Amino acid sequence: MALLTDELRARIGETRAYTAPEPLSAASMRYYALAVGDANPLYIDRGAARAAGWRDVIAPPTLLCDSNQYLADAERDEDGFAGHSWDIAPPDCRLVRGGNTYVFHKPAHPDDVVTVVWRLVDLAERVNGAGHAMLIVTSEATVADADGDPILTNTETVIHIALGKAS
Amino acid sequence: MTHPTIPPVGSELPVLRRTITLTDMIAYAGSTWDWHRLHYDPDYLARRGLPAPVVDGQFFGALLVAQAQDFFGGQAFVRSLHFRFANLVFAGDTVECTMRVTAVETRGSLVVATLAASVGVGGDHARVAVAPAGLQVELR
Repeated sequence: MALLTDELRARIGETRAYTAPEPLSAASMRYYALAVGDANPLYIDRGAARAAGWRDVIAPPTLLCDSNQYLADAERDEDGFAGHSWDIAPPDCRLVRGGNTYVFHKPAHPDDVVTVVWRLVDLAERVNGAGHAMLIVTSEATVADADGDPILTNTETVIHIALGKAS
Repeated sequence: MTHPTIPPVGSELPVLRRTITLTDMIAYAGSTWDWHRLHYDPDYLARRGLPAPVVDGQFFGALLVAQAQDFFGGQAFVRSLHFRFANLVFAGDTVECTMRVTAVETRGSLVVATLAASVGVGGDHARVAVAPAGLQVELR
């Protein structure tokens, strides 16, 4: 059974845009820095951030790569997940993460109201070394500020692996 | 502005070692608005044959940026980071992030350091968690 159907192939290039309902906030930035154990003063001390040339504290760079805060409608699915999803779920597969590439254009600040545009870059089918078919989903999220200036780009790969072996 | 000392190509940065507890994972899930049950729900994990809550892979991105930013200082700007996942990491595992300078070049007023990185898990079930990985850091 092909994992990459014509119906799915037709979706390559699809985009979804989300605009955060409020500014990022210094509290969100401090919460993330605390959670990952990063005590860098650039994220919590305005004086330190200004001394480094920024107008205010900056967000830990990876915060906006992984946060779902920008979603106004954070509705949880049955897995408890409330982030962006393409709702691509081939039957009888398990999902693993492949990897990410982040490119940072400029830091985010507490007053930034971000817009995130997701693009379905590619869908590809392969067979792994163990003989299982895989559907490789490549997506790109571009995070921009209210003026449309890009903050970062996150390209990520997730892989749906068939539970049975390819025939 | 003076550049921090740039170590020569081949130099290893100080290793970042971190035990990631379930409490850390709950804090991370909250701070990223990611409530996926993979990261904390014992019933959900048992049904999938997983031995313990799974650490969110993007947590390692945060650790790698922290490792580089702490080393190069406040004037450094992490321009890019890439990583591939090799094996799952579970609550209670201790990870070691290693980072090595692979290139240093001057671009106008910037010095750009390229680093190769990896994340491993030690102990009885030692394994690679993240590799290959790499960063580019700009020093203003």
